[in-house]
Amino acid sequence: MPGSIGPRSIGRRRIVVTGIGAVTPVGAGREEVWENLLSGSSGFAPVESFDTSRYNVHAGAEIKEFDPAPYFSRLDPQTVGRATQLAIAAARQAVDDADLDLDSVEPERAGVVMGTTSGEPREVESFDDRYVAEELEQVGPEFITRYPCHVIAGCVASELQLAGVNAMIPAACAAGNYALAHAFDVLRAGRADVMLAGGADSFSRITYTGFARLGAIAPEVCQPFDRNRKGMIPGEGAAVLVLEPLERALERGRQPYAEVAGYGLSCDAHHMTAAHPEGAARAMQRALSDSSRQPEAVGYISAHGTGTATNDRLETRAVKRVFGDAAYKVPMSSIKSMIGHTMGAASAIEAAVCALAVATDRIPPTAHFEEPDPECDLDCVPNEAREQRVDMAMNNAYAFGGNNASVIFEKCRT
Amino acid sequence: MSAETSHQEPAARRVVVTGVGVVSPLGDSPRDLHAALTEGASGFRAVTLFDTDGLGARHAGEVADFAPESYLGRVNLRPVDRTARLVIVAAHLAFEESGWTRELREEHDVGLVLGTMFGSVHTISSFDRRALVAGPSYAKPFDFANSVINAAAGQTAIWHALRGINSTVAGGTTAGLQALAYAAEVIRTGRADAVLAGGADELCFESLYGFHQTGQLCSEGDGGAGHAVPFDARRDGMVLGEGAGLLMLEEAGSALERGAPILGEIRGHGNCYDCSRGTGESAVDAVERAVALALGDAGVSAGEIGAVSAAGNGSVLGDRHEALGLAAALGGRADLPVTAVKSMLGETLGASGAFGTIALLESLRSGVLPGIRGLEEPEEGLGLEGLSPRAREIETRLGLIDAVGLDGNVCALVIERIDSEELSAQLSGGA
Repeated sequence: MPGSIGPRSIGRRRIVVTGIGAVTPVGAGREEVWENLLSGSSGFAPVESFDTSRYNVHAGAEIKEFDPAPYFSRLDPQTVGRATQLAIAAARQAVDDADLDLDSVEPERAGVVMGTTSGEPREVESFDDRYVAEELEQVGPEFITRYPCHVIAGCVASELQLAGVNAMIPAACAAGNYALAHAFDVLRAGRADVMLAGGADSFSRITYTGFARLGAIAPEVCQPFDRNRKGMIPGEGAAVLVLEPLERALERGRQPYAEVAGYGLSCDAHHMTAAHPEGAARAMQRALSDSSRQPEAVGYISAHGTGTATNDRLETRAVKRVFGDAAYKVPMSSIKSMIGHTMGAASAIEAAVCALAVATDRIPPTAHFEEPDPECDLDCVPNEAREQRVDMAMNNAYAFGGNNASVIFEKCRT
Repeated sequence: MSAETSHQEPAARRVVVTGVGVVSPLGDSPRDLHAALTEGASGFRAVTLFDTDGLGARHAGEVADFAPESYLGRVNLRPVDRTARLVIVAAHLAFEESGWTRELREEHDVGLVLGTMFGSVHTISSFDRRALVAGPSYAKPFDFANSVINAAAGQTAIWHALRGINSTVAGGTTAGLQALAYAAEVIRTGRADAVLAGGADELCFESLYGFHQTGQLCSEGDGGAGHAVPFDARRDGMVLGEGAGLLMLEEAGSALERGAPILGEIRGHGNCYDCSRGTGESAVDAVERAVALALGDAGVSAGEIGAVSAAGNGSVLGDRHEALGLAAALGGRADLPVTAVKSMLGETLGASGAFGTIALLESLRSGVLPGIRGLEEPEEGLGLEGLSPRAREIETRLGLIDAVGLDGNVCALVIERIDSEELSAQLSGGA
């Protein structure tokens, strides 16, 4: 229990979200992504980036027809991996969306924190193809210069000339939330004036193989909380949020989407791939206590909601443990029903959703919902978006390794 | 701001080191490691972990004959890969020294922040290759669970019952130092009271071959590894190494209260990025900036630093940038004793920042700073005169560790030697 933990000693600066960028299987850019999520779009299609003929599943949530070139002005998009391309696109969009003139920011006071599950898996997959073909001599320096995951945050900084704090947090499927949480602390402690934070992952053969082997991939669509749900669907994407102190946003005449109220992290220490309701509950409780809020104040929960039998059942149980009877009154949807599981990007995209729910009082649905599951009996906002006041939104994410992270966003009162 | 004035801020939480766990090419205790480094021993040897036929690089800082069972007893290690085994053993050693028994860990949240460059690229690649050759239905679920980059941190949490904040920090060769900074920050800000932190990477075919293809490794003669001598005029690249180094970090008051050994204090850190990704002159500025940030965060002046544990690994450009940056940040302290333990351990990637910190902490405590093995003639114009092939006596409480990545990341950490009597006196207002 977190009993002995005392009050925070440094930094009570209020940190807000002023810009959102996202590249997803249902579109790119804040407006397009948000509208498509509200209308229940579906990003699922047969996998094209590699041959799935030897697999017993074929559905994926890939981003089709992505052209990185318009987002690059310094680096050459052909010299970086796909996750880095997606990350730079989302970062550029977020900066534009925030109306942030980077020339007006001291580069040394602006930084980047990104999360990922796999870094640049296509680089290691290409290494493996050559290994198997006994053509290893064809592996050039790019394996080491592109593959290690920290290059994603590094290249975003290099492209946008942000010379401040730089960190990469590979916390698997909760990585976006971990990155946001860290950036939030960096800003609170006064170590930067502006932080870009988010997550990115590219569609990966390795990830697909692993989930296929676990029998976790659904044949056609992802149906979180549905009684007949058949699993998750791997996806790809990136999202980046511009975070800055409230006073700075106001000084430059910018009305924030939302304020970051607090976060909580925990570790199950239980199982590498199966979640545990106790750890998930502790992350939510810590986030609430860090935000000095009661569960009743939460108006929307963005669920981890992968669509696997186990995750959705355990997650429902964890939310009930924290929220008690109030659990039945909080809408809790999963956008993975539309864009699949975008891995390290997932909770970053979901964080953008939470910020926009708070900003617009609209809640995206859980799509493809057909039949209620008695073990997942909370309000999953089936199929239709909802207009409803959202003062606070909680973003939940759970990862391999038992890494849990909850981040809370609230309406920014100025 | 001096050390004393920081106490005037009532809520300021201080971060102390209460234990160290190390699995390195030169020993498995901080004392043994320091002794070997002081003697100028070499951790480089012909690789035995895998076949190096046809590979230009055949030597590395391998942890030879690593036997986790000798620390952990007869246990089932099948579910965990080499990176996780190194971390699990280092954690075991750190808990033993700091007195965090399993019973205590079950009662209190202990966190883990692990720095790593690759996690295990060997596990990831093996998983993929098996699926390629035998078909996807023959891929191993165990390997998939370990294919995420945070696998070692997750496995170590399961092994040792660590339910606090659990985070993995990448950053290439700066990851270990960044992890220590991250952990110190969550303690300082009241998010945690006890966090194990440091870094690890394993030696494997995939990374050795990959680095060889970049041309960043030193040449190899018949007799062994070539001239991977940090800051030496004739250096021509690095030697890869492996290992795990972890420091048990705790909030000072609670550490004292439970009677923990007090070995030192994490005073401050700085982290920044070089947008030229290590290729241009701005790399020098980035090193200078990270060091200045760390000094400012610690509230100490450059003049108070008495020893430096540098990141130098034999890289032609990287070592030069680092030296010039250090010289600029520590201005006027050209004679400051500087060690570079990678001359003996190799570039241990995610572990290196932790090894640099552990070696310096032990140097501050023992009063002896290791030299730079093989240093014959420091490159001219680096601005550092305190480079020596031999160990030296030092008399200082405060030391600086820096980490300079291969592609832009820079981090610096200020540590101080302190024992429980001194800490107790300071916390009760007697200092």
